[in-house]
Parts: sequence; structure tokens; C-alpha cells
Amino acid sequence: MTNGLMPLLQLSDSQFPSGAFSHSFGFETYIQEDVVTGTESFKQALLVFLKKQLVFNDGLACRLAYESMERDSPEGLLDIDHVLFATCVARETREGNRKMGERLAKLCMELYPSPDLSEYLSWIKKKQAYGHPAVVLAAVYHSLGIPKESALETFLFTNLSSLVQNAVRGIPIGQTAGQKILLDLQPYVIVAVESIMGLCPDDLGAGSPGLEIAQMHHERLNVRLFMS
Amino acid sequence: MRETGLLSLEAKKRHARTKIHGYYEGAFKFTRPVRLDDDSLSVYLIHVGGGYVDGDTYESTITLGEGAELAVTSQASTKVYKTPSRPVEQHTNIQLAADSVLEYFLDPLILYEGARFIQNTTIELESDAVFFYSDIITPGWSEDGVNFRYDWVRNKLKVYQNGKLVLFDHLLLEPDEELEGVLQLEGHTHVGSFVLFHPNATRELAERLYENVYESFPDVRLGISDMEDGGIVVRILSDRTQTIERIISHIHTFARGELLDKGEISWRKY
Repeated sequence: MTNGLMPLLQLSDSQFPSGAFSHSFGFETYIQEDVVTGTESFKQALLVFLKKQLVFNDGLACRLAYESMERDSPEGLLDIDHVLFATCVARETREGNRKMGERLAKLCMELYPSPDLSEYLSWIKKKQAYGHPAVVLAAVYHSLGIPKESALETFLFTNLSSLVQNAVRGIPIGQTAGQKILLDLQPYVIVAVESIMGLCPDDLGAGSPGLEIAQMHHERLNVRLFMS
Repeated sequence: MRETGLLSLEAKKRHARTKIHGYYEGAFKFTRPVRLDDDSLSVYLIHVGGGYVDGDTYESTITLGEGAELAVTSQASTKVYKTPSRPVEQHTNIQLAADSVLEYFLDPLILYEGARFIQNTTIELESDAVFFYSDIITPGWSEDGVNFRYDWVRNKLKVYQNGKLVLFDHLLLEPDEELEGVLQLEGHTHVGSFVLFHPNATRELAERLYENVYESFPDVRLGISDMEDGGIVVRILSDRTQTIERIISHIHTFARGELLDKGEISWRKY
């Protein structure tokens, strides 16, 4: 058994086929509207995305799912899955998360199978759950025995990293500038993990109105590099 | 615990007409039902105090029987003042039986300096029940002219369809250095939402609604998308209550025409 480092590196690798490569989660709208135009404006938007969207949605979901499995009550995953789906009011982002979640669940069942993940995947197949990457990865991290805070840190960083990769292609910004952003955001990831640990289950799914509108607008962009 | 305001309203269809029953206590009241020009039945909710203050709790239940049709609005905006010890809580539970129609349009929520407000609205729809809804959240006037002096507002709207959660609109506004920036309110102060559920509220209808609204309000920041199970959600950012009210009324009229075969609603309150 490894200390979990290699599985985390694998799951976080930008080549890992999670589907995140195809989704900008509203950022493409900001790029086309000239709100996000370069390194600085992208970094600011990504920071708010981390502090609001990831902390209150995907990140908190990952923590709550992880804790459900710690309590040995995987049925808690169903509630989290349903809340994540129903709180996402922009169709493309909701569908994107659903497809990524299902695909990731199947892939991770091949690579890092566990009873909890197997149950979640069976719920997805029976259409009792929609599927969401945060829940899938929580199951994988938990089954690998990754401590909760490290799991959240990895999860948040992986999300930021894929958005940076997309920004490099989409805005575009330079590779080095992108990596610099990831470095600069590292302290904020630590703070975000602390924020997530301080929230309560009732906080799950709080949305950011501006981002929701950008995600909704994406449906109507004429030229699109990304599916959301 | 005793609620500051309690209200229970039930509408039933009898011989092709909707009849109202109910009761209220404390700071809540509702008017006798008023029949509007187009034969819609309407009820006006009233708060008999000056506004919501520290620790207030409000509880409302609205139930529509099979086939009943009702339009509900308020007589004035909801004002929430300073809550030094406990946030104000308002809980509303709405049950809509098969084929009933509820149009629920409250006036804006205004949050003053130091206000903390929790609002939970839960709607349970049975098959083919119709629900139209809007809300507007605005910061109240403050002595120093700064817009965001409230502490926070947590607004939750949950819609269940035959027991399944189909929409959970969860908004948490907590003024900080980022609230007015990108992804959040983007330089605006007011947030408006319009939600509708109708068996014929398709993606195609959402698309036509967007084109229609965009044509009339090209300069307003708003988004429209469709949910599974016949839902449409509209999100609006603006600096003026009147602008959001005009858009909401425009969408309401569009939805009435397309889905209820009715014209513009003319509330009896101004």
C-alpha cells in the first residue's frame, strides 16, 4: 500500500480523463464578454470562484460526502448528489457535472474500486442519483485513506488546475503565467479548506448570481471552445 | 415558541370556482379575496407592523386543492431591520395539488443596516401543478449612503415535484470585499429571480422567453435557463427595484399568455 501520493497525483493529473478539459463552467462567457481578458482578471475571477463556488458547492459537497462514508452511511451521498443537481440553475453546467460525474464514477470503479463508489455508481445507473465529480472523488479519497483535509486540498487544487489549463487555451494566457496563478492561489486553497471545515450542511449549494448568469449565457454563445 | 406572524391559507375548487379559507395571527393578515378583471382570484398578504425586527419568526402555509387557482401578492415590501441578537426567520410552505395554479409574487425584500434574514420557502407540487414565483432582494438605505450595510441574507427556495427535489435555489449574500465584484453582483446592488414550473415549460419556451425579454431589455444583465421537469429560472442583476419589477412583470405576462392563456395581471394594490 502506498501513502496515497501516487493515486492523488494520478487523479489530479491534467491528462486524467475526468472531462474537466471540456468545461469552463461559465468562464468562457466572461472571456467572450471581455470581463476576463488576461492573467490578472482571470486570477481575480478564479479566486472568487474558489472562495464562493468551490467552497460552498463542490468543496463542501466533497467534505460532506467524505463524512457520510466515515459514518458508514453512504445513503447520505444521495442527498448531496440531489442538492448539487437541484442548486445548479444553469443547464449546461448541471449537465456537465452530471456527465463528468457518471464518467468519473465508471473510470474510478476500474482504477480504485470501493463498496461506496460501487453503490454510488449503481444509483447513477438506476437514475436514483445524477452523478457529480465531488461525490465520486470523495469516495475514492476516502477508500484510499487520504485524510479529509488533504483530500479537500487535492480536490480544490485539481479544480483550479483544470480551469487554469482551460484559460491557457481559452483566453489565452501563457503556460508560465498559468502556473504562476496556481502558485499564487496555493495559500488561498489552504484558507478555503479551513472555510469548508467551518461550514454546516445547510450551507451546501449557495450560488453566485453573476456566475449563474454567465453559465446561463454560455448556452447562447455563438462560438464555443467549451461545453459549458 | 410563538410566531411573530402566522398565516394559513387554503384554496379549494368548488363548482368551477376557487374558494378561500384560512386564519392568521400576530403581525400577519390577509385580505378578503378579490376577483380580478380576468376572473383570477387574488389575495393580498399584509404585515401589520412597521417591519421585521430582531428575533421575529414568521410562518405561512398556503395549500391549493385539486384544480384551484389563486394569485397571491403582498401589499408592501418586506423590510428587515437590525437583528443584534437573533436573525429574523421566515418559513413558507406551499402545497399545490394536481392541476392547481399558484401565482406567488411578493414585493421586494429590503435589508437595512445590521439585518440578518433567513427565508425558507418550500413548494410541493403534485402532477401538473403550476407555480409562478418571483423575488427581489435589495439593500436598504443607510445613513452614510453605503449600499451594503446588512449582515447577510440566506434565501432558500426548494421545489419538490411528487416528492422529488427539482429545484433548490439557494442564495447567500454576505457583504464583503467581493460581493460587488465579478461572479457575484458584478457592480449591481439588487438581485431578482423568476421561477416557473408548468408541464409545458420546455427548453424551447425558455429560449423564446429569453429572446422576448432580451428584445425589451437589451441592457439588463439577466440569465435564463431551463430545469428538467418543466422548470424555468431567470436571474436578474440591476441597481433599481423598478427595473427588476418591470422585467418580472414582463415575464409574468409572457408566461400567462403562453401557459395559462391569460392576459397581464392587474393587481388591485396601487
